[in-house]
Amino acid sequence: MSYKIEEKGNSRIVHLTGEVDMDVADKARQSILPLIEAGHEVHLNLSKVEYMDSSGISVLIESKKLSEQKNTKFELVEISKPVEKVLAMARKFL
Amino acid sequence: MSEIAHQDHTEKKAFLVNSSSLKDVRSFCREVFQKLKIHEDLKEELVLAIAEAAQNIVKHAFKNNADANELMVVQISCENNKLQIAFYDRGTPVDPNKVKHREIDNVKPGGLGTFFIQEIMDAVEFRDGKKPWINHLVLTKQL
Repeated sequence: MSYKIEEKGNSRIVHLTGEVDMDVADKARQSILPLIEAGHEVHLNLSKVEYMDSSGISVLIESKKLSEQKNTKFELVEISKPVEKVLAMARKFL
Repeated sequence: MSEIAHQDHTEKKAFLVNSSSLKDVRSFCREVFQKLKIHEDLKEELVLAIAEAAQNIVKHAFKNNADANELMVVQISCENNKLQIAFYDRGTPVDPNKVKHREIDNVKPGGLGTFFIQEIMDAVEFRDGKKPWINHLVLTKQL
């Protein structure tokens, strides 16, 4: 998995690419949480994520919760089909 | 249920018990499902369920006794259009009664993997591990 961060004012657009699993979940976490911690709005672009498992979903949940604590915004923009399928399954439970 | 008759086939492979093996587990599954001509959508669901089960072995069965040389085996069998995926490991014995996903109103990370496995597969069963194995998990799905 790789990532790229774009800056737009106080917003940060994080682009993840590749497969997000347990092995790289910490890397994904470290690409997002410090930005939220610093008070930035974070828009997560998942259009190039080919695979995401429960560890990746956990990163999304943690990011959302932290953004609520920090009174900032965390949202998903452009979601690939594989991620959309996993999110649909997770939503039944969340 | 699929209208395609899938050929009977069995393959198994051993993987080191660590998180970097999960990618290899997924590749192995995709290769076998390709041979079985399983539909792309179902294939990726099955890959997710298997990878989550393998992840549980790494995370839980070997939580306190990580050993770089420990192996887990994944066996995929298809017989009479019934898919069976077996996992063998020598980690901490799993108590099947304690394997459950979290409560629905408890929104926090973790436990989702087990939920995914149960959503995707028809049955999840822990069987007695025959030596040298300790845990033997079997997932089944009618194709």
